[in-house]
Amino acid sequence: MNFFQAQDNARRKTWMLALLFGAAVITLLLLTNVFIAIAFGWAGMQTGMTFSQTLAQVPVDSWIWISLGVIGVIGVASLYKFLSISGGGKTIAEALGGTLIHQNTQDMKQRRLLNVVEEMALAAGMPVPPVYLIPEPSINAFAAGFSTDDAVIGINQGTLDQLSRSELQGVVAHEFSHILNGDTHINLRLIAILHGILFVGMIGYGLLRAGGYSRRNGLPIVVAGIGLLIIGYGGTFFGNLIKAAVSRQREYLADASAVQFTRDPSSIADALKKIGGFSMSSHMTNPAAEQASHMFFGAAAQKFSTSLLATHPPLDQRILAIEPGWDGQFLQNSPAAMTADQRSHAERSNRAETAGVTQLADGPENKAQGIVDQVGTLSAAGLTAAQNMISNNPEQLTQAAHDPFEARALIYAMLINKEQDHSSEQQLALLGEQAEAGVAPHVTRLLPAVRNSSSEHLLMLVEMSVPALKELSFSQYKTFTANTAALITADKRVEIFEWVIHRVLTKHLHAHFEGPQNIHGRVGNINKLADDAAKLLSILASHSHEDTNEQLRAYNAGAAELGIRKPYSKQDSFDYQRMNDTLVKLRKLKPLAKPALLKACATCVLADSRVNAAEGALLQGIAATLDCPLPPSIYS
Amino acid sequence: MELIILLVIIAALAFWVVAIYNKLVALKNRYENGFAQIEVQLKRRYDLIPNLVETAKAYMSHERETLEAVINARNQAMAGLQAAAADPGNAAAMKELGSAEGMLGSALGRLNVVMEAYPDLKANQNMMQLSEELTTTENKVAFSRQAYNDQVTEYNSYRQSFPPVVFAGMFGHGTDAELLEFADSAAIQAAPSVSFN
Repeated sequence: MNFFQAQDNARRKTWMLALLFGAAVITLLLLTNVFIAIAFGWAGMQTGMTFSQTLAQVPVDSWIWISLGVIGVIGVASLYKFLSISGGGKTIAEALGGTLIHQNTQDMKQRRLLNVVEEMALAAGMPVPPVYLIPEPSINAFAAGFSTDDAVIGINQGTLDQLSRSELQGVVAHEFSHILNGDTHINLRLIAILHGILFVGMIGYGLLRAGGYSRRNGLPIVVAGIGLLIIGYGGTFFGNLIKAAVSRQREYLADASAVQFTRDPSSIADALKKIGGFSMSSHMTNPAAEQASHMFFGAAAQKFSTSLLATHPPLDQRILAIEPGWDGQFLQNSPAAMTADQRSHAERSNRAETAGVTQLADGPENKAQGIVDQVGTLSAAGLTAAQNMISNNPEQLTQAAHDPFEARALIYAMLINKEQDHSSEQQLALLGEQAEAGVAPHVTRLLPAVRNSSSEHLLMLVEMSVPALKELSFSQYKTFTANTAALITADKRVEIFEWVIHRVLTKHLHAHFEGPQNIHGRVGNINKLADDAAKLLSILASHSHEDTNEQLRAYNAGAAELGIRKPYSKQDSFDYQRMNDTLVKLRKLKPLAKPALLKACATCVLADSRVNAAEGALLQGIAATLDCPLPPSIYS
Repeated sequence: MELIILLVIIAALAFWVVAIYNKLVALKNRYENGFAQIEVQLKRRYDLIPNLVETAKAYMSHERETLEAVINARNQAMAGLQAAAADPGNAAAMKELGSAEGMLGSALGRLNVVMEAYPDLKANQNMMQLSEELTTTENKVAFSRQAYNDQVTEYNSYRQSFPPVVFAGMFGHGTDAELLEFADSAAIQAAPSVSFN
């Protein structure tokens, strides 16, 4: 199942969840009414009336009111939770007591983890997610977020301590596949939805204790409490059923994706075996972990793992699925193994296996399809490409990308005019005035290396800088965006590359600082947006070649791919407003309609069998705006 | 029945209060993370200083007092940082760190003045590189301190606003977090102005 299919499925699942949730609510209503009826009847019997006599006396609309009350409480509870997760993935990490791992940390184990996460994010063509450290000694991890823009990875302290680099990579790959498959989107929504039906049980428990302490008339309260508690566990039952239905199968899928990606089944199998052999396994002590239990790598609580209600498949089943010949032995972490691994701490590259990289057939048609197929996937080839790009990067620039102060200077440097002329002088002067102390000289220092790097490389550096930039305070972020805008418009022209950087950065940072935007794709048929698709292809074609005939050929190739009949409209210069407006409309496409558009863009770009810098940059910008992570290996 | 409506309203209010608590926790978490970034930069700064002093010693063997003052101030600041890192935002710890950093800044400033008399030292490659790095680190310290202060201000403002102010005390968020202030010293680079009065 490819990326787009998975995204589409993720959206469909929401309907199924709604249905199950509806069933849960109805059950809760029924049980509530039944229990209150029992309570009334019992109270009535105390005064001598029979059960049915008491009930006959209760006005009919009472039941309606009670039901409305229950629905009201459930609604309020869910609404509260929806609001609390509106900040995106980081809210979960914070709720679990996680501390942010700084990109410029000096701690060796943390550095190693960050390197693993960074390689993988770049291999998938997505921004590097912030990593949080969860203060628990067990071996576990999670990923949370509505999209790649607000995604975070959480790792337990125990995971850092117990696992080797390759095992860590297996776990992280598993989490990344959740992000790319849209699982994290659903899981986050699930927390909010389930909160409504779990909450009733919590009231019940509270009433139970309150009633127990009261002398007079304590009993009805206790009964009500027990009643709500039982009702509440009815909600819990459905809640866990829903979680299990959604997450359990996905766990096998994520394990399989991780194996495929690392080309080394032993890494993730060993991680699972270590969980089995570890005294604390993957259990979480923080009570907040229960709500997010479906989001973790391993089972967070010691539930009956073979039951219907388990959020994860049993450990041994997962291991057998990866390693059919497993002997049933779990792994104990030995000090010897750990020291041997420590010696290669903080190393960047893994034995990346280049064997098995499929050679794409040469025709532009197949290549375009190949590009689209790669979207949102993790592959060993992608990892190799990412590792190569990282190691070819000047140390100065990598270091800059990892520091909040320097990362800004790095981005500013990318926006300074390529030639040393009046324009660039002007821009530097602007920075001297408007940016914080020390920024302008730092930009000057980074300029030579930046000017020497390809735009592909620079875009990779942008993705690398994202987590460091997310550490800015809100007002620093505002200053940063104002400065970047000022730099771009300083020379009165918006170049393609400037546009791409601005586009990509805004998208990634906006989610963090101003809340994730959830664009719900509604348009299933590209023909409804034929005009905008034509505009997009026209812009791409105009930059594919000097010769107008070649441009026309490229445009026609792309338009034919999409089956639209609009004419080519040659663009003499890059009009960023036009580009933005077009993309705003095209973002409304449903996931399954996007591959066709991307393939058309790719076909257009590949029509002359050459991808020049402008085309490459435009493609990246378009893919990023459409939420399609584009791995770097397409360029190899 | 009015009782039911009341129940729903109470539930809504209860959630509202829980949301306030959660936001207080989240904002506190954020400035603590912000402080951790300052820690990274300050540690880098403290690591550079012994190198600086060693290099200077070779040329400035008679200026032992000045050099020792720098090392002492640096050790003091390190202790201050450790105390502050244990409880970021704590008024006493922040003030302590602020004043220790201030003293380190002055000590470095004095060193700078003294170094003027040793042009060979100033021209030394190693020294120049260290000074360069130190300046960069100073800038980063300033920047991360600004971020931390922004985040502390956000926390304090929220905590003091209505309605959080009503509940803050009972939720364990009874006091404002303290800003971190010290004179950002571009000590090594800035040529000190000498007055002849």
